[in-house]
Amino acid sequence: MAVAIAVRVRFFARLRELAGAEIEALQVPPGSSLADVYDALRAKHTTLPARESVRAALNQEFADWNATVAGGDEVAFIPPVSGGRG
Amino acid sequence: MRYDVQKEPIDPRELEAAVTYPGAGAICTFSGIVRDSSRGQTVTHLDYEAYAEMAVPQMRKIGQEIKDRWPEARVAMAHRTGHLEIGEVSVVVSVSCPHRAEAFEACRWGIDRLKESVPIWKKEHAADGTYWIEGDQAKPVA
Repeated sequence: MAVAIAVRVRFFARLRELAGAEIEALQVPPGSSLADVYDALRAKHTTLPARESVRAALNQEFADWNATVAGGDEVAFIPPVSGGRG
Repeated sequence: MRYDVQKEPIDPRELEAAVTYPGAGAICTFSGIVRDSSRGQTVTHLDYEAYAEMAVPQMRKIGQEIKDRWPEARVAMAHRTGHLEIGEVSVVVSVSCPHRAEAFEACRWGIDRLKESVPIWKKEHAADGTYWIEGDQAKPVA
């Protein structure tokens, strides 16, 4: 049984600047959720915002925080989009 | 149907041409334009950043939502990325339908959904600093 799985994390916009990276390879325990992945990243990049203000995407689709990641998945953490009255 | 995230300028007429069909008596096109002010401040220019691999499928999904509600509609969407000057077109949604009422409604649906669910972000360069616009909030660049 694998002791860790590798996911590819992508950051955009303000989160990219706060994390100081566009792409990061991360090892997480099997069975980790998107919330676990984000918490692990926040422990490393302490300026990343609280999960409440961010949405998660798994393999280029919006996903629930409790969705489980698998090896080779592309995970993205997405700040609120432009929206507004513009 | 045509969905693009592009660095090059957008020509709204090209999107209209993409949705035209003989039964379409109405084409409604929304163009979003870079404005010279925001939050009471002068804006000098914008930078747009996209998660393109996700943004295009999200646009396609919105196009399908429109088709589900207005089956005769045809839809095209495009969003710019990179550096944009005041007056440039940042986003276009064009919808054709047999009649104007549904063309207006479907176009409005399209741009509203795009603004809330397509992963594209705006960095605003203003007189008082540089900000990431996140929904209705402006977050200063650290």
